[in-house]
Amino acid sequence: MPDTQALVNDFLNKLKKRKIEGSQATAKQTAELLRSVISQTRMPYTNQAAALIHSVKAVGERLIAANPVELAVGNVVRRVLHIVREEDLSLTTAAMAGLNLSAESDDEDDTDRDNHPALSAAAIAAASRSTLRPPSLQTLLEDVPDSAAVPHTSSSGGDSEGKSKSADKSSRSRKLKHDVIEAVNELIQDISTCHELIAEQAVEHIHQNEVILTLGSSRTVLEFLCAAKEKKRSFRVFVAEGAPRYQGHLLAKELVTRGLQTTLITDSAVFAMISRVNMVIVGAHAVMANGGVIAPVGLNMVALAAQKHAVPFVVLAGSHKLCPLYPHHPEVLLNELRSPSELLDFGEFSDCLDFGSGIGAPLLHVVNPTFDYVPPKLVSLFITDTGGHNPSYMYRLIADYYSADDLVLERRTTSGN
Amino acid sequence: MKQPPQKKDGPPVASSIAASERIGVDRSVEKERKKDLPPPRKQFDDESRGGRAKRRSVLNQPEARNRVELFRHLPPHKNGTQLPSLESKFFELHEKHPAVYKVGLQYLAGDLSGGNARCIAMLQAFQEAIRDYSTPPEKTLTRDLTSKIGGFVSFLIECRPLSMSMGNAIRFLKSRIARLPLTLSESEAKTTLCSDIDRFINEKIVLADKVILRHAATKIRDGDVLLTYGSSCVVEMILLYAHELGKQFRVVVVDSHPMLEGQKLLRRLVVKGLSCTYTQLNAISYVMHKVTRVFLGASSIFSNGTVYSTVGTASVAMVAHAFRVPVLVCCEAYKFHERVQLDSICFNELGDPDAISKVPGRVDVNYLDNLTDKQKENLELLNLKYDATPSDYISVIVTDYGMIPPTSVPVIVREYRKEYLLI
Repeated sequence: MPDTQALVNDFLNKLKKRKIEGSQATAKQTAELLRSVISQTRMPYTNQAAALIHSVKAVGERLIAANPVELAVGNVVRRVLHIVREEDLSLTTAAMAGLNLSAESDDEDDTDRDNHPALSAAAIAAASRSTLRPPSLQTLLEDVPDSAAVPHTSSSGGDSEGKSKSADKSSRSRKLKHDVIEAVNELIQDISTCHELIAEQAVEHIHQNEVILTLGSSRTVLEFLCAAKEKKRSFRVFVAEGAPRYQGHLLAKELVTRGLQTTLITDSAVFAMISRVNMVIVGAHAVMANGGVIAPVGLNMVALAAQKHAVPFVVLAGSHKLCPLYPHHPEVLLNELRSPSELLDFGEFSDCLDFGSGIGAPLLHVVNPTFDYVPPKLVSLFITDTGGHNPSYMYRLIADYYSADDLVLERRTTSGN
Repeated sequence: MKQPPQKKDGPPVASSIAASERIGVDRSVEKERKKDLPPPRKQFDDESRGGRAKRRSVLNQPEARNRVELFRHLPPHKNGTQLPSLESKFFELHEKHPAVYKVGLQYLAGDLSGGNARCIAMLQAFQEAIRDYSTPPEKTLTRDLTSKIGGFVSFLIECRPLSMSMGNAIRFLKSRIARLPLTLSESEAKTTLCSDIDRFINEKIVLADKVILRHAATKIRDGDVLLTYGSSCVVEMILLYAHELGKQFRVVVVDSHPMLEGQKLLRRLVVKGLSCTYTQLNAISYVMHKVTRVFLGASSIFSNGTVYSTVGTASVAMVAHAFRVPVLVCCEAYKFHERVQLDSICFNELGDPDAISKVPGRVDVNYLDNLTDKQKENLELLNLKYDATPSDYISVIVTDYGMIPPTSVPVIVREYRKEYLLI
């Protein structure tokens, strides 16, 4: 545990100081950290899943609090929790199947019952009943605060058989940990390869003699366009520079290095040029459950211009960017303000900063937000590693990746503990 | 006595001015109106109609390598390094006047910008030139002076393409010259012309601005948050005037790269005690939630209600419209034009492409330094100066004729154009 503590603290520091660039890197590092946390978790004899969930939540809470605007952290934490629950579920189902089989074989061999895993049948059956039964009002009320707590109560009756069950329970717990870590490895793999899967779909959307517009720089967009170029589609790209970070310059440089005809335009010229553009392709920082997009600043303006000129607005996003939360007041709550020095030179404007109004407040404020919120009605299509989707469909993908119990990660301090 | 119509007299002018030189003659009003339909503008790349412009251009065309395909019909940007060739070649053909030369240099260097400032500077330079003018023997004043003015205009166009306000002012001047009674002596004619120019500047610009101030100030209430984009002299005057009247409001100044004009406006406002917020164009969706009114300036307004203004104005108006914030465009009526335009590409002005790759004050933005030849081949830099805002985004236009909707612009052009030609 001391090892993991050091790792966790180190990662927390990096998140707080905003040292990690990009949601893909953040997601990957979060997943790797949680993998080490899981492998270090001491598993009790009962409620292995609950213990895992508890330890992951403990770390996850702190990670999210370090950088609430980086939604990829919360997404990965919730994905891992979902994995734990899923693996637990599948193990219980397997045990249930084993239970049924042993019930049939019981008639043949009564003496073996003590050594058979079916000895824990009562506990297993009770546990699986709780995990397998569909949620009803009664179960929801009973399960407060934690659904993983139910196996706890039902297996309390089976404690008398503790020693004989300990062997197979520890093997079960090892199996659970093993399965979970394997699944987390798959998750890390998915996060790393999301660009390739998205880029494969480029050929379906870009044909010949197209004009594409993008703003700022996104690695997903770069790979997407290069994949289309590989397949010999001819198109030109307008890159808007994306003040105040001017990452569009970087993207333009990359594109010309790979041989694409690129024109670098200013952000102010987007409305002027968009009438000659066939498609707008951008990356996203995060995709919310309603299909809204948290995107680099300036993209709402581009989306409105695209809507006015009936140009499709396509957002590329890996599945680690899909957040199960609905955005409330996203411009303020999910935004970060950067340093004013990117806009104004402090030296030049130092005299203006001293002027006071009647109440002594400074007269000059500088606003430099990092993100913009694009509402779902302005987005034509999402292209993720699982294919293309409408904004109205994104909420369904949440059920694939997240559990409803994990949406609120703060542990309740009321009676349930 | 009928004066012969003077069409495209003197050296061919490289752009729109020649096309709009329709000197009125003594005919009926209807025929006059029909004649007033502007012929299509001479395009920069049109060989048949005005392609001589390219061949006669005194400045070397910069390499076509980096020119954006979509904008080949526009003249490329001229920068200060071409000044020596300008001097040597141009003044072989035309007479030089120091005042006009100075104004041309100021345009070339970018020291003088803004429709009103450029127009006033040009007209004052012409006043000086007229005062110093003397008719050569064997020539009539009207013809010769018109051709001289045409020469000066060509020079100014070489330095920087004319703005709409300047175009209208030149049309006015030429019509005044053409209407000079032949009985006037040379000195009387010169004095008349100079006083006409003074009256034009006074009535159409200075007094017009005062009227606009009064109208616009009625639209500012206490507690307002006013947004403005770039640096428009009229909007600055409005804000300072409303502040003097004692109204309590905040200003949001939105700026964009590469011109960064908003910084100059910001300084002038803060010095006078207005409470300002400064941001760049991309953040407009973030600030628009709190904004109550948007005030914009214009370089010109076309007859279909399209506002032709600094690049980025269209985006501001569009976002304001999406957030249901009223957009007020403040523009003197002399800047209205009969042209119609649907998009920003058919007619525009190209700025210096190298200005995009550098950001003043940010040494860390140097990604485009040291490009290889292969990279340079594929990369084009586009720096537009103007864009066209569709009329549906504009709520009201504040002019010296009052506050009008964008649909009334052709009415003003038609009804009141004659008025100023005849003053």
